[in-house]
Amino acid sequence: MEYNILESIDLNEKSIYKSFTERYFSKRYILNVNGIKNNDIMLLFHSNRITLLCLAPSHFFFKRDDDYKLNFTIGKVDRLSNTVKGKGKKGGQMLTPNTAICKVEWSDDTSFEIPAGMKGFLVEINEQLVKNPKLLRESPNSDGFIAIMLSSISISDSMKKELLNHEEYLKIINSSCE
Amino acid sequence: MDDKAIFNYCRNLGCCVACCLRYLGIKNSNAYANPTSFATKFQAEETLNKAPEDAEKCTSTVIEDISDVLNESQSQEIKTEDKINIENTQENNINSTNTINESSNGVEVFGNGSSPPSKKLKLSTCISCLGVLQEFTWQESIDMVKEVLDKKGYACNTFACALSAPIATMLRERVITLQLTNEFPEYDQNSLTPLKEAWKWSFGTHLSRHIHKTLDSGAISPLLVTLNIDYDDDIQELEILKKVSPQLFEERSRQRRRFATEFTRRSVEQALETATLSSFRAAGDALCHVSSHAHCVSVICTHAPIYLCGRYIKLSRNLPQSPWVLDGKRVLPSSVQEIIFGPIAKFYNFSDVDCEGRLKFIAAGREDVDVRCLGDGRPFAIEITDPKRELTSEELNEACDIICTSGEVVVKKLVPINREDLALLKKGEETKSKTYEALCIKLTHSKHDDCPADSPITMSPTDLRLINGYKETNDVTMMISQKTPLRVLHRRPLLVRKREILEMSAVAVPEHPQLFRLSVRTSAGTYVKEWVHGELGRSTPSLGDVIGARVDLLALDVTAVHLQWPPDKQ
Ligand SMILES: [Zn+2]
Repeated sequence: MEYNILESIDLNEKSIYKSFTERYFSKRYILNVNGIKNNDIMLLFHSNRITLLCLAPSHFFFKRDDDYKLNFTIGKVDRLSNTVKGKGKKGGQMLTPNTAICKVEWSDDTSFEIPAGMKGFLVEINEQLVKNPKLLRESPNSDGFIAIMLSSISISDSMKKELLNHEEYLKIINSSCE
Repeated sequence: MDDKAIFNYCRNLGCCVACCLRYLGIKNSNAYANPTSFATKFQAEETLNKAPEDAEKCTSTVIEDISDVLNESQSQEIKTEDKINIENTQENNINSTNTINESSNGVEVFGNGSSPPSKKLKLSTCISCLGVLQEFTWQESIDMVKEVLDKKGYACNTFACALSAPIATMLRERVITLQLTNEFPEYDQNSLTPLKEAWKWSFGTHLSRHIHKTLDSGAISPLLVTLNIDYDDDIQELEILKKVSPQLFEERSRQRRRFATEFTRRSVEQALETATLSSFRAAGDALCHVSSHAHCVSVICTHAPIYLCGRYIKLSRNLPQSPWVLDGKRVLPSSVQEIIFGPIAKFYNFSDVDCEGRLKFIAAGREDVDVRCLGDGRPFAIEITDPKRELTSEELNEACDIICTSGEVVVKKLVPINREDLALLKKGEETKSKTYEALCIKLTHSKHDDCPADSPITMSPTDLRLINGYKETNDVTMMISQKTPLRVLHRRPLLVRKREILEMSAVAVPEHPQLFRLSVRTSAGTYVKEWVHGELGRSTPSLGDVIGARVDLLALDVTAVHLQWPPDKQ
């Protein structure tokens, strides 16, 4: 075949096997949020300033095997009723780094909150996660992401500069394990 | 109706012969090509014997004196009664000196422009067209047109011409029409042949001989020559309308319009609609005074855009459709558009700046930078603004050859099309299905895979069967919901779109058991990549859902854009 798709790319080139999130997003980490040990979150920044909120692999959540539920009502605010209108995404709920996006409620009635980690506003809560809370445990850095957020270019840029990148994160995590 | 009387009445007011014909309502183009000979039959005995049109004499010194008086009276804002007195004085003056034309009676706004034999044989400017229709004013305009045409070098051997005339001519036409109606009760106010038409027939015909192009209508000739003709006293003369129609202009000035834009064609038209002869008299202007004829201030020549169409094949996975610029810097050095523009710019001697302003690339949708477009290619068109000529079929073939040497883009044929055909491109983008080939990879074991978790992941015959046998209804293989992809979410609204997978089939890749080739036909606007990998569950169901595994794609090609293009000539 003249323009065989198999010959159109180098199958030995590792970069073509990057996952969806690795291809388009850069990872940043915030550790011990609100002074809580291993309350670690991961922010995935797209170059277009769309940001995904995920739990970092070092989060204490992953140490427990108990059943849990996700609660998206924070105080009087229902995160699931968030809507954004138009190109400018008007009307999204405002977020600050410490604003809770959702609560993880364990079967023993203890719970913890997942913070937004950044100033901006909420675009979308992961609908699949609402239907299937297990995704948070099974694919925390892909289908189990928590929310899509949007902030200004300046905030997005400065956070990308200031927060821990993947290498720095691995160094800290590995040294604390030793 | 006495055509002769009307002709001579206008003539005596100070109209040129062509304008006299206009007020008679003559719409025969030949009449204006040579007005003097056509007008012979209307002319009064005396005028017939006198100098021809091009030796039009200046209105009498008496009239000039009167206009001075009127100008003065106007500036002093004298009362109407006083003005009537002055008019009477004028009448007396004129009657006492006017021994030639008995038909004129009474000074109207224009004064009684009889043509007594004057010693000054200087060419006088028409009080209606301000010289626009008078041959002695044309040379300057013709020189300007020639200069522009020489510079632009159009090959087109026909032309159409358009006129932007001084607004004062509208005012003057209205006043003369009112006077005619007053003088000849049976005169039809709507008979006036528009200045633009008379000008096309007279000046246009004349210009045609000088530029060696055939005069044609704007509907036929793509080359349009527009003359902007200004009259120095334009705004000053229009001031009278503030008195004639005070409410209208008070309103306009309240809208904080600048003085210069106060009199637009529209506002003057509005004011003239209701103006009466007496209101003009009351306002007391002296329109008989024409200080200098209107003159051409600019000439604009434009050729209607031409359109070329074709289909492009894109062979590169590193080439955007249009220039990709981020923060003022180029991300990639070239684009499909620029490769196709290359030879076109060469034929027209376009600089980079010209290309930006004069070449427009229009395509039936676009593919991502890393997606090839194969098969017959993607339909596109090029709009060329103000081309100096059409390209020959040899040049179009050469253009295709040059495009192909890029190695990244292939265009097999370029053909001219009509502007109307462009709508099909847009419609095609919105309604036509597309076929893709994707090289996909299975990333996890399928739910139905009955093998150890650590065994290699392979596309099983079951997987292929599931994909190839998938069908929801006879027409639609799969209905899907796609949220606005994250990669464009920053600039597009968040929406959920219903799309259709119309056909799909998969084949194994023997030497790479984890891979498979997928052919898929989708409805317009489907995000194929997102459908394959599911975009974190934002596009559902995804291809992966069909086999119960995670799936991603390594490469994507458009293999067919299902749109008849170039359009069928039937
Ligand atoms: Zn005239």
